[in-house]
Amino acid sequence: MNEPIYFVAAPMLIAIISLFWREPSTTRRLFGVLSAAFITLGALYFVITLSLNEQRLILNVGDWKAPLGITLVLDPLAAIMLFLSGFSALASLLYSMFELPTRSEHPLRQPLLFFLLTGINLSFVTGDLFNLFVAFEIMLISSYALLTLEANDWDIKQSFPYLTINLLGSTLFLAACGLAYSIYGSLNFAHMASQTTALAGDSRLLVLATLLMCVFSIKAGIFPFYYWLPNSYPILPTPLAAFFAGMLTKVGIYVLFRLFTTVLPHDLTSLHTLLAWLAGATMIFGVLGAVSRNFIRGILSFHILSQIGYMALAIAFFTPLSLAACVFYIIHHIIVKATLFLVGGTVSSLNGTDDLSRTGGLWKVAPILGLCFLLQALSLAGIPPLSGFWGKYLIFVEGIRLHDYLLVAAALLAGILTLYSMLKIWLGAFWSPLPDSGELHLHETRWKPLTAVVAAMTIVSLAIGLGAEHVYRISAVASRMALDQSGYVAAVMAALGKGGF
Amino acid sequence: MQLDTALLVGVLFGLSIYLILLRSFVQILFGFTLLSTSVNLFLLATSGSPDGKTVPIIGAGPNPVDPLPQALILTAIVISFGVTAYLVVLLYRIFLDHDTIDAQDLFHPPKKTDDNSP
Repeated sequence: MNEPIYFVAAPMLIAIISLFWREPSTTRRLFGVLSAAFITLGALYFVITLSLNEQRLILNVGDWKAPLGITLVLDPLAAIMLFLSGFSALASLLYSMFELPTRSEHPLRQPLLFFLLTGINLSFVTGDLFNLFVAFEIMLISSYALLTLEANDWDIKQSFPYLTINLLGSTLFLAACGLAYSIYGSLNFAHMASQTTALAGDSRLLVLATLLMCVFSIKAGIFPFYYWLPNSYPILPTPLAAFFAGMLTKVGIYVLFRLFTTVLPHDLTSLHTLLAWLAGATMIFGVLGAVSRNFIRGILSFHILSQIGYMALAIAFFTPLSLAACVFYIIHHIIVKATLFLVGGTVSSLNGTDDLSRTGGLWKVAPILGLCFLLQALSLAGIPPLSGFWGKYLIFVEGIRLHDYLLVAAALLAGILTLYSMLKIWLGAFWSPLPDSGELHLHETRWKPLTAVVAAMTIVSLAIGLGAEHVYRISAVASRMALDQSGYVAAVMAALGKGGF
Repeated sequence: MQLDTALLVGVLFGLSIYLILLRSFVQILFGFTLLSTSVNLFLLATSGSPDGKTVPIIGAGPNPVDPLPQALILTAIVISFGVTAYLVVLLYRIFLDHDTIDAQDLFHPPKKTDDNSP
């Protein structure tokens, strides 16, 4: 079964083909958009079929069986993430197609975006810890390049903390791979998971799990490790910022989810408790940072952190319901966050700035944009029946059932402050009249097609909120199958190939 | 043997973290180079003691050393080479744009009397 590799090979091929056009052209942009749409639809097909049949598709690369060769696994959770990455890439490409005239797009933007997608997708389908490291490196190197590609001379220094903290994280990840190899004698997820009972009570596992949690907390931006994020994301051009904000930190969350459910033993309760409190701190500090900022991209960048806190909290509760809520929350969050960044970009191109003291008056000229922003902002804050409500509701229910009242209170407080800072953008950019120092570029910018992109994403997000039952059902299947270690091991070991134990 | 390696890895890690925490770009760069070397040594140590073992080539001997960590190191070296090259170019660009190789001056530039700062 070759399906898992399609999602890695396709973006890589598209990136290479894109490089053959030496200058950005309309054909190349259309090619990029169409292939991203194709990847998204393909992933959607696998989301539906795999979750209906509760099935995993497994590929042993080079035909070597599980513990020897590299295994790629496409299960419903990976398919959901592939769909989301394809969808965000599609939105980002569409937005950059409408935002800039062809000749002013950087020639390397599209190829690098697809290389980034290659790395992201490989980290979703891989079933091997070292291969995950390689996937992360592909992803990070592309993201370094994209971050600095179009940064101006003054902003470029902000990429330096991003680079150094991620280099440190990658090195720790490599050390964790070595540690895992010395404990398990294997780096294959299935082979590692199959030794859970044999290694029960081994304290080295706790060391390994803590190290892995630190590594992916750096990538995800969980509390003590998040300082690199809020300053580096705002230097990106809008469509790339939307893609980074939507996907990159969520790759960290996905890997935490995958490792805690599928690979590591389930009884690491002390570590789960630690993660829960770190998640609580992330929510509060992230949202306080957002309240303190006064420009749209800064506010939204801090919001990524506070939302990451909710997802990490859902992983940390570690009950079937909360894990399903985590998957639901990821689905909701990626789309909403990318939309909000795109709205922020449109506002700043309309007003010439995204400093909230000099924006305003957009409700009169661009009511659809305002409506999209309002819907997505309320969804981010968790107002029913929008998509953000359901994920938060499930997490709160689990928190109360587990008697973690303090964490639930922190999550509620973060929700209220989210609403407050979102209203700050709403009032500053849309509702209040244009201040005297502000300016409005209605005719110079192509904001109408940009609004159409934003509106399309808002409709998808609304559909998730209104069709929450179906999305929840898929999330529940995905999280249940990720939790089912014995099923995962059996499926991987039964896959065809030569060699093996 | 294992204890020597452990000590060496520990010392190298400590040194590289110290270098990374310094302010000069060049020292930070060397810190990261040293860090990747020390983690490679750590990976090598996971293959166990090489005493009485032969090279992992078919036909070379009955008791080969575990080759997998070496394969991992090879991959890691290639990746860290690429990242280091990128880091060098980035630091050079920052040096050109900001005219400093000091991380402290970069983020908290000293107050200038002549006002040509942006």
